[in-house]
Amino acid sequence: MSCEENKKAARRSRSLAIVQGDPAGVHAGAQVPKPRSWRSLEERAGSAELSAAARREFPAGASELTDSVSRRSFMQLVGSSAALAGLAACQKPNEKIIPFVRRPEETTPGNPLHFATAVSLDGYATGLIVESHEGRPTKIEGNPAHPGSLGTATAFDQGMILGLYDDDRARAFTRKGQPIAWRSMLGEIGGLGDRLRANEGAALRFLGEPTASPVVADLRRRIQARFPRAKFFSYSSTASEAGQGAKLSFGRPLEPRHNVARASLILSLDADFLADGPEQLALARDFARGRTPGPGMNRLYVVEPSLTVTGGVADHRLRLRGSEVAAFAAALAHELGARPGFELLAPLAAAVRPPATAPWDARWLSAVARDLEKNRGKSLVIAGRRQPAAVHALANALNVALGNLGVTVAWGPPVLADVDIASGPPALWELMTEITGGLVDTLVITARNPVYTAPVDFKIEQLLPRVPNTIYHTLYEDETATLCNTLIPAAHPLESWGDARAVDGTVSIQQPLIAPLWSGVTEVEVLAAFLGEGDLGAHEVVRRYWQGQAGRFGSGLDFFEHAWEKWLADGIVPDTATKPEAVTELAVDGAALAKAISPLLTAARKAEGAGGLEIAFSVDPKVYDGRFANNAWLQELPHPITKLTWENAVLISPATAGKLGLVTGDLVEISYRQRLLEGPVMIQPGHVDDALTLPLGYGRAGAERVARGLGFKAGSIRTGEAPWFDGGATLVRTGGGYKFGITQDHWSMSPDGRTTLEPAVGTTLANVENEHSEFNEELEERRGMPPTLHKPWDYSKEAYKWAMAIDLNKCTGCNACVIACQSENNIPVVGKENVIKGREMQWIRIDRYFTGSVEDPEVITQPVACVHCETAPCEYVCPVNATVHSDEGLNEMVYNRCIGTRYCSNNCPYKVRRFNFFEYNGDVSGARRLGMNPEVTVRSRGIMEKCTYCVQRIERKRIDTRIAGRAIQDGELQTACEQGCPSQAITFGSLNDPGSRVSRLHADSRRYDLLHELGTRPRTAYLARVRNPNPELARSG
Amino acid sequence: MSLLFRPRHNTLAQISLFVLAAGAVGTLGGLMVYARTPYARGMQDPIEQPLQFDHRHHTRDEGIDCRYCHNTVDRSPHASIPPTSLCLNCHSQVWNKSPLLEPIRQSFFENKPMVWRRVYRVPDFVYFNHSIHVNKGVGCVSCHGRVDQMAAVEKATPLTMGWCLDCHRNPEKNLRPLEEITNMTWKPEGDPEVAGRLLAEQHDVHTRISCTTCHR
Repeated sequence: MSCEENKKAARRSRSLAIVQGDPAGVHAGAQVPKPRSWRSLEERAGSAELSAAARREFPAGASELTDSVSRRSFMQLVGSSAALAGLAACQKPNEKIIPFVRRPEETTPGNPLHFATAVSLDGYATGLIVESHEGRPTKIEGNPAHPGSLGTATAFDQGMILGLYDDDRARAFTRKGQPIAWRSMLGEIGGLGDRLRANEGAALRFLGEPTASPVVADLRRRIQARFPRAKFFSYSSTASEAGQGAKLSFGRPLEPRHNVARASLILSLDADFLADGPEQLALARDFARGRTPGPGMNRLYVVEPSLTVTGGVADHRLRLRGSEVAAFAAALAHELGARPGFELLAPLAAAVRPPATAPWDARWLSAVARDLEKNRGKSLVIAGRRQPAAVHALANALNVALGNLGVTVAWGPPVLADVDIASGPPALWELMTEITGGLVDTLVITARNPVYTAPVDFKIEQLLPRVPNTIYHTLYEDETATLCNTLIPAAHPLESWGDARAVDGTVSIQQPLIAPLWSGVTEVEVLAAFLGEGDLGAHEVVRRYWQGQAGRFGSGLDFFEHAWEKWLADGIVPDTATKPEAVTELAVDGAALAKAISPLLTAARKAEGAGGLEIAFSVDPKVYDGRFANNAWLQELPHPITKLTWENAVLISPATAGKLGLVTGDLVEISYRQRLLEGPVMIQPGHVDDALTLPLGYGRAGAERVARGLGFKAGSIRTGEAPWFDGGATLVRTGGGYKFGITQDHWSMSPDGRTTLEPAVGTTLANVENEHSEFNEELEERRGMPPTLHKPWDYSKEAYKWAMAIDLNKCTGCNACVIACQSENNIPVVGKENVIKGREMQWIRIDRYFTGSVEDPEVITQPVACVHCETAPCEYVCPVNATVHSDEGLNEMVYNRCIGTRYCSNNCPYKVRRFNFFEYNGDVSGARRLGMNPEVTVRSRGIMEKCTYCVQRIERKRIDTRIAGRAIQDGELQTACEQGCPSQAITFGSLNDPGSRVSRLHADSRRYDLLHELGTRPRTAYLARVRNPNPELARSG
Repeated sequence: MSLLFRPRHNTLAQISLFVLAAGAVGTLGGLMVYARTPYARGMQDPIEQPLQFDHRHHTRDEGIDCRYCHNTVDRSPHASIPPTSLCLNCHSQVWNKSPLLEPIRQSFFENKPMVWRRVYRVPDFVYFNHSIHVNKGVGCVSCHGRVDQMAAVEKATPLTMGWCLDCHRNPEKNLRPLEEITNMTWKPEGDPEVAGRLLAEQHDVHTRISCTTCHR
């Protein structure tokens, strides 16, 4: 690239541009030049309402209590309770100390213990380390030894701690509404078993979740032996067709194991692999490592309908409707198949002709094809869970042809135990047919809420009551519970004995952290009841199974006793990972594959041509398929892209909205296959045109109090035939003015609409590498000591100088840090009404900025918590010294001094301070209190709070190391967000140690300070996002 | 018509003004003095416990080290009240029929914990850590007083923030060799100032006075 071109490229991608025109002319005539990035369409358009709202750090009325009691009557209530409290204060406190009768082994009151366990989602395990204070689990972290975790955990995993203490969990064993004891129920199941055995269990059916648990698989085998004609089904509404894809490609069901660490180029076909699926934690970490700017930096192409976390970090993103992805994959195979060295794809190329008028830019496709060809043996094509088997098969063929097999993708024997039993929607359909035929007498459901998740055309709601005995094992009294006559409350995963396997087959023994709070039992116990072993207890069943397996691992006196203890302590059973199939065994027959998938592709094309709008269902990143709907932390988590809390929305593209005359907040009625669905519309930049995305998991109607009535049930128009995409939907506007609980415009760092430098900096690899690029020159001005009249405080003599670095190049915006922080720091939830009023309390917010066009923007996510300014503006204005500076540079918040003036928040340019407008923590249930972190004050009403750099962890570690007579080593002290971050974007440490990771990152050439121009000298530094675009496709946006 | 106010009313007005002002100051001052009395701080007030446990007997007469019972004091934030089972280490053999010890036996056999009354209490927003103090040479007696002379334990020190900071600013006078931590009668030899400075150096004492040391 010539120097001139370089400069041009630099100018094009210059992200710090202060003055930039508005390409779409949305706010033509605006006098003030706008920064190039924007968080919402309203901000981009310079809406007057928004700028008026943003001028206040809290929206109008945020400090008014308008919910049911007027402010006056509230004050009266407060007054009288204060008077009563005053009286109570006249008595001397009479606190009790209650020691143990026998102190459990290893327990030191005051010091937490950590236990390894595992939880499964969709059958695959994440290994966890759970912190327990005096027997009460309080915090979930990933298990570094576990291949599915590598030391971090997803927002779902971390949020489970709240689910454990959920008051709404099912508590009572009931039969036909009457309470019954578990022991009596065991007796009845025994009697039932004897009766069913008479005809070999011909009328006995089990409906479970996909599982990889060896114990459950063993129990199923043994039940099958006892009741030879009984049948097992497994159903998950989110199941991937990767297995069927492998069957098409390799002739047998295999499971993929991806390795992006060795991929220089990744093409995602609607795969949100960084934030979805069982491999996400490992993939996110390896992907982020591969983003280090330099010659080895990887490149990511994403083809998808709606913006996802993965699409947000893509170097190139192609918006395609879900059903068009198959055609794109075929066209890619066609394009490559014509080239020498891709003989394998030639038959495919002949069979799958790309459509004459493709909805994508042919230049884009051929550039991707050329790039793939260039990166043979170190590229990866990955298909998402929503894509049909044919697309998975095409991706497999591409990987084989590109020589990626055994390098970036390997195939292992299936880890899930369900391959030999019927699974997926066809299985559920078979079960429904049997129920219709009256073949089922007893149905044991251990699947999560099938009535809610099942395709609507299966009519499970009508069919389930026809079964004489329905036994439902459930965590909640949900939609399914109301239709079943026997309810068995389930133990929470943190209360359960069991086992689970990671994607590579590694076994973890699941051990409970606490005895069931509300008398639940595990799936293992329910299944064991059919073998007459229900009273053994899950621990004994699991232990006996593994004792029987111990011979595989070693022998000798007491071998098992010792091994068992070690397995539990480590969280993994060693040497249980299965070997992937040898590459030589995985030949793909191009001709046969072409024959198998061409009818599938034709079918896909037919759906494409159905006309109307395409509907696409998506797994929700907050509540998944609805199973986390009662988790208030996850509900209040802003969606990674839309920033929506507490509900879902019909997502459409700006162009489609324009065509249909819709604006965000309009209510629409979607009609599709004679079914109707009503929901509010949200315009989503980056969404594909002529399509709707309907997130699943909302519109719950069970007895769960948090989940009930939030959002709309997308599943009510989801059919078994088209579980993810289908055309032919129409849309009618029925109303407007719907108000979303959305956080994207809250906490603006430019409250008066003044022009600021880009908060989230992004650029291209070329600009980073060119020392004299405008990018590097401008970044130079955005770091270092700003001019000052005062002599800066000298921190170099202190033992530590705490600081943080956040690498935007690694951050995917997945939200794991937000939940980690919420869990560590006892942060309350406030509810949708309060979110609308700007009262959300999360200490970290992830700002999601768009740049470029409204239709197809680029995304940068930027986590912002308190940046611990050395000259903190909040400190000057506090009248009571409640926020002060520590000797090591922490901006401290002293809750007991705070009187709630909110001056600090007003003066904070980063808008990272949160105020307890109400007694949010006072309303939590007794059970929830058990899960609070005892190391952190539970703040009450009227108190300002904010990120403390997890000072409780600092002080705890300081004491431990001071007693040991040494200094804190770099890396041994992690903040909660750092520990929870899957892609390791957050680094914490001391700047007084020149060798520390954080010191090196602060010296990085991509480092800049947020709002550096204000001279606040923040201790949190940001590293610019870097994109690695294909020079052939260099964008002009 | 007579005058409404006579000259003596001037004096009266002055006196009442003085009384008002003095009363206001006196009330405030009185309250401030009151808050500083041992009574208001809950000191010198022996707390009655559900069982007549006598520290005098156990520590002075029997010479049992504090850490035999409060055995997490050097590795945990809490010193810990011992579990019932620990009482029975001795009392299954000694005084095992004493009616005074009935609550202990009951607790052990019925698996019901003893419920003691708290003597030393800091507010919920204060995170005090025993282990660092004990490991850096602050003896039990410095905060808890002569427990070996108390029939029922009483609060010996005010536990106010000012009191904490006094020591955190000048810790030397409260330091001692680690082997004398539980000694109730230890006195430094020679000049206490010099000995304290030497001990601070030996134990590598770096007291902290940043807010988040205790409040978080």
